[in-house]
Order: sequence, then structure tokens, then C-alpha cells
Amino acid sequence: MGTGGKHHRLALISGVVLGVIGLAAAAAPWLAPYPFDAQDPGRLLQSPGVDHWLGTDRLGRDLLSRLIYGARVSMTLGVSSAVIATLLGIAYGLASGYLGGRTDNLLMRLLDVIYALPDLLLIILLTIVLGRGLTGMIAALSLVSWVTVARLVRGEVLRLKSADYLDAARALGAGHLRIVLVHLLPMMLGPLLVTLSFRIPAAILAESTLSFVGIGLAPPTPSWGGMANDGWAALRFYPHVIIVPSVAIAVTILTFNILGDYLNDRLNPRRASIAGRESSA
Amino acid sequence: MLPRMHETVRRAGWRGVLGLLVFCVSGAVAAAPPPAVLRLSIASEPPTLDWSLATDNVSITVIENLMEGLTAFDDQLRPMPAVASRWDVSPDGLTYTFHLRDDVRWTDGRPVTARDFEYGWKRLLNPATGAEYAYFLYDLVNAYEYNSGRLTDASQVGVTAVDDTTLRVQLKKPIVYFPSITAFVVTFPQRRDLIERYGRRWTDPGRLVTNGPFTLADWRHEYKVVLRANPAYAWGRPSIDEVRMYVINDRSTALTLYETGDLDLVPLPPEAIPFYERSPEFVRVPILRGYYYGFNVTTPPFDDPRVRQAFALAIDKSEFPALLKGGELPTNSWIPAGMFAYNPAVGLAYDPAAARARLAEAGYPAGRGFPAVTAAYNTDPVNTVIAENLQAQWKRTLGVAIAIDNQEWKVYLKRLQTQPPPLYRLGWGADYPDPDNFMALFTSQSGNNHSRWSNAGYDALIARAASTGDPAQRQRLYDDAQRILTEQDVPIIPLFVASQNYLIKPSLHGLRLNAMELLTLKEVSIR
Repeated sequence: MGTGGKHHRLALISGVVLGVIGLAAAAAPWLAPYPFDAQDPGRLLQSPGVDHWLGTDRLGRDLLSRLIYGARVSMTLGVSSAVIATLLGIAYGLASGYLGGRTDNLLMRLLDVIYALPDLLLIILLTIVLGRGLTGMIAALSLVSWVTVARLVRGEVLRLKSADYLDAARALGAGHLRIVLVHLLPMMLGPLLVTLSFRIPAAILAESTLSFVGIGLAPPTPSWGGMANDGWAALRFYPHVIIVPSVAIAVTILTFNILGDYLNDRLNPRRASIAGRESSA
Repeated sequence: MLPRMHETVRRAGWRGVLGLLVFCVSGAVAAAPPPAVLRLSIASEPPTLDWSLATDNVSITVIENLMEGLTAFDDQLRPMPAVASRWDVSPDGLTYTFHLRDDVRWTDGRPVTARDFEYGWKRLLNPATGAEYAYFLYDLVNAYEYNSGRLTDASQVGVTAVDDTTLRVQLKKPIVYFPSITAFVVTFPQRRDLIERYGRRWTDPGRLVTNGPFTLADWRHEYKVVLRANPAYAWGRPSIDEVRMYVINDRSTALTLYETGDLDLVPLPPEAIPFYERSPEFVRVPILRGYYYGFNVTTPPFDDPRVRQAFALAIDKSEFPALLKGGELPTNSWIPAGMFAYNPAVGLAYDPAAARARLAEAGYPAGRGFPAVTAAYNTDPVNTVIAENLQAQWKRTLGVAIAIDNQEWKVYLKRLQTQPPPLYRLGWGADYPDPDNFMALFTSQSGNNHSRWSNAGYDALIARAASTGDPAQRQRLYDDAQRILTEQDVPIIPLFVASQNYLIKPSLHGLRLNAMELLTLKEVSIR
């Protein structure tokens, strides 16, 4: 129980930090002291100071403003791609698990094929086709990450399908749609929420990775990974340019993961029971 | 004296004995002087050491130090006698006769003859060789016909070894800078017997036979290339014994190795320059390399010269030196500073009002209705900075939002050849220090003109200038051509002329760094 309390506090802190990042992202145009793409050739690569709290990059752009707008990009990208992926996964997993039989077999083998392709490679290919804008990137990330959600949902459906309360519902004359929407989906909310909380940071990290290697969002869209890429060349001489976005990425990913762990412990029935047994031992 | 020393040794115990021993051993080593080794970094593995096929800087740098051609550049980049001791030009300017020295030898002892040059040039032009630089000798009689396969008889190409020491070259039209061309690696002599015996592997260490200041001692792929002084070099053995060229593609890594004393010479990455500018080891050399943005003039909106002029007028080039920090020289004209016919008065200078007016004339007042276009560049930190800066400048001055897109170098080059983007970045470095090398780039028949722009008047001016001996008249021809290129038709916007920034150890002497980016090592000594 002691660790549980600590978990609780950590999760609370993470929630607050994420709330702040989210608010900053939403209020970017009012919060940011400069436009994110305003270049000042007279103030290149300045260290953190009074005019520019976090310094400037090699085009003389304010790092704090880019960080705030970058939060907007990262959050939009992370949340929307995770939500789309989850919706896609739910639909696919429900169809596969609920229909069962040969349909299930076919859908699952198809999933295996997609699963076998390396994520990053698939994202790179998709962004080439869909374009390197925000929408293209969101679509590419969603199309890659729905697979795990689909598997999870199918597993849950198979577990619940033979439950007595479903038989009862059927006996009372409930149709397929009612069974799925009212009796199946709500039961999966816990695991789905947990998956969502892990998918968001994964998407943010994937975008950062792509931007860092120079194939992410097209400039001048400020993205944390792109900012880190900008700072990489000057690592030895102007370390603040890479430290600022790296810390932002690390903090966001960490808080999402802590929150995800916490939700997992609380909402995932199987994990909770295992944890319970362990603590009683 | 002796007893006291004995006492000292005894008091110091075994440590003293060990110290004495070390002293003796190091003294023995010092007796034989260590070999003078020069350690450099090269940005990549040399793609080839076959000088008919080499096109890139790294390969050419290595080959330059292994070989000697008919002519070589002096400090002012004038062609000077090398293997050719002198040359005559016929009164009509169409026949060059090179007289070769008879004391230059290959590393296997055989003399270098005019036949080796004839073979090398015909191999360059042979379509089976597939040399990208074949066009270099297109001014020779029948060279283009032979290279394009319309003529199969190589003996009709305008280069003949009259005897062992006389090479006769026949040109289609007089080329005033021809002795500059013969200083470039693709015209260096080659050994028919060895190439026929070894095939594609004739450049392997142990097989490669050369005639220059150094020989190829070792080539470990993706690791290092080792050159050793050639004792039989006709101009005297170089002072350094060995050159080690390490393959290091990351410039900051190379800088770290320089600081730890593992490299003697290193090109500086841009962001490091401000930290070393005042160091006595810092050397800046302006180079003959122009950086430009080109338009694909066949597709709207850039098929309208007024739009191209507006884009050129909208760029404040004075921002570049601060952004890049490498001693870049902003330019509005195309022929670079340091080259004949350089004229800073030509070209469109920054004029935001005129830029907006020109764009309005073309039908896009304040940028309204301007279609979505993408500017492309190859992935590189410098190119990114310039692309993002131009993107902001065009938006600021013209109200036009341009998307930018980057690709890896090889992919990018292929795209330029097959389907040039509406706006693209490129650079051009001098192969020979004559304006023809820069101006012929944008003629209709040039394979490197990706703008798809073609102007018969421009082509005619370039052809005339190549055959014009009088400098004043030649200057006028190039001025006229540059006005067409950078003021009137504007298929390209010249941005700046680059510099090379090095750190060089003070122990290094006699290194000639020139505007052609060639590292000539034969006169280097280490003290």
C-alpha cells in the first residue's frame, strides 16, 4: 500500500505537468513571447538571457516560443494519432473477435502481415505518400499503431464473449449492436485507456525521431525532434539548443508513462490482481 | 662525480634504475628519426581512384597527390608546365602540340610517354568507359561523335601521340584556356598494359602504378587511405614520408581528433568557426564555389521571368555571412570573385519595393493567388539554414509562403536530372579556373543545367567567349552573358561564394591551399 501511495502522488504530479504542457500548447499564441518563425539575424545562437529566456537558435528564432508551439504540434499529433489508432483498432478488433471463425482467422493473419513490417520504415513510406505536413504525419502514425489496439480488443472480446451476462443479454433479445456497444465496449474501457496513454507518448517519440533524422515535419513547423536536430550540429558549442527540446521530450514521455503505469495498475483487471497477490506475499 | 651518481641510484632504489633504463631505450629510438607522417581526414571513402571515372572532391584530392598531368596550376592558378615541358599553339588556335619531358617515370620504372596520354584521353571518351566527365574533352575534333557512339573509329579523335614525347591535340574551335583543362585529373595519363591486365581492379594498392609525388601504399575501405613518398618523383621526393587520410564523415568528430593531436589538418564545421577564428591555427581560404537557387522555368509560376526576378530581388543576401560564419561572400553575379571576368556590378541586388512591384506585374499583388510551390535542397546543415532563411525572407518581402523539402544527396541529384523541382538549391565548384567552367554550365547542351532554361543568345555568347583571346573583349562577352543569366532571364539566383575554413597545426609548413579546394601535399614539411 505504501508504494501505491507513492504511485498515486507521482501520477498526480505527472497529471499536473501534463496539464501545464497541454495548457501551454492550447494558449501558444498568447503565451509565446515571439512568433515561432521570426528570424533575427542580429541575435543568432544566443544563450538563455533576459530577452530570450531559453536563448535563440542558429536562425535567431526564440527557443521558448518554438518550444511552446512545439508542444502544440507534439500534443496534437500524439493525441489525435492515438485516438484515431484506437478507434481503428476497436472497429477491427471488435469485428474480428465478435464475428469469429474464418473471418477472425483471415483478419488476424492480415494483421500479422502488417505487424511484421517495421514501424519506422512504414511511417517513412507513408509520409512520402501522404506528405510531410501535420495531417500526413498523423495519418501515418495512426495507420501504424492501430494494430496493437486491434489485437488487444479482439482478445478482450474473446474473453468476454462467453461470459454469462452476455448469454443473459442475448436471451433477453438484445441485438448484436446493443451487445457490442452496451455490454462489450464499456468492459474494455480500462485497458483501452491504458493503451491510449502509452500510444500518445509513442507517437510523440516517433515524430521526434523522424524529425531528428530530418524526415519529420517540414520546416518551419516547430517540432521538438526537429529542434533537437537543429541543435545537434552545434552540440559542443551551443548545448542549450539541443538541451531545451530534449528535456521537453523527456519530461513529456516520462509523465505520460508514469500516468499510463498508474492507470494500468488501477484499471487493468489482470494486472491489478497480480499486483495484489504480490503485495500480499 | 661517479660515486655521487652511484649513491643517487642506490637511494632512489629500483625506480631510479627503471628511469635510467627508460632513458636509455628512448635515446636508442631517438637515434633513428621517426617517419614524417601527415594525418588528414577525408569526408568519405573515395568512390573510385580511377581518374577517368572520378567526379567527387575526395577521389580527386587523393588522385591529385598520386599523379602528375601535362600541366599543373601555380599559386595564382595559372597552368604551368608539368609532364609537358612546353607547348605550341598553331596560329589558328586549333592545334596544340605538347612537348613532354623524357625523365618522368611511372613507379614501375617505365617512362611516361605521349601514348599514355593518348590512351587515357581516348579511354575517357570511349562510351564503354561511361565517364561522366567525358564532355570535358568535347572540344577535341570528333570527341563528341566518338563518345556518343556515332563514330566507332577512335583514331579519328583529335589526340595523337606523334612520338614518345610529342602529343598533338586538334580542337574544333580555338579554346583559350585549354592548358587549364590539361591540369585536371580526368586528362592524366593511363597505362594501357595494366588496365587491360587487371580490368576494373587496376587501382588496387599494389597494382596501381602512378607518376606523382606519392604512391598508394594502403587502402582500407571505410577506414583510411595511406600514401607514401615516391623516391623516384621527377621533381624531387616530397619531404613528408607518409600521408594518412582517415575516413571521418562527421566534422565535429574530426575536430575532436584534431584537438587530441590525432589529425594535423581539419576543415571546421560552421558552428565551430566563431570559437577558433582568432586561433593562430585558423586559416580561411576563399574558394571558387558558387551557391545558387535555380528555377524550373518550364512550370508555372516560374515560367514567368518577372516572378523569377521578383524572387531574386527579394533576398537580402547580407544575412548569409552572419548565419553561416564561414567568410561567405554574398553575390548577385554568377562568375565568382577570384576568377577572371568577375563583375560585382552585374546582377539583381536586394530591392524589396521593386520585388513586390515585379510580382504584382506578374499577377500576384502582395503574393495573393500565388500557387503552392516547394523549394528543394539536399540534406545538410548549411542548406537547411539557407532554405529556412529564404523561406522567411520570401514570406516577409513578397507575402509568398514556400514549402521546403530536403532529400539525401544521391536521390536529390537523380530528381534534378529527371524531374527538377520548381525551386532547387545547388552549388558549383571550379574544375578549372576559367569563367567558361561556370558559364557553360547554363548553356542549352549542358548536362548540368537543371533549370531547363535555354537561350540561344546566351549560348552564342559563351561559345564566342571561349574562343576570344583578348581579355577586354572576353570580359565584355561574359558581362553580357551574365546580364542575361542574372538580370534578364534569371533561371538562377546566385547567393554567395563559399570559403573553406581550416585548422592547421603550426608544425605543418608549405601547405598550398588554393581556391580550387585542391590539397597539394608534395611541398609540405613537418617541423
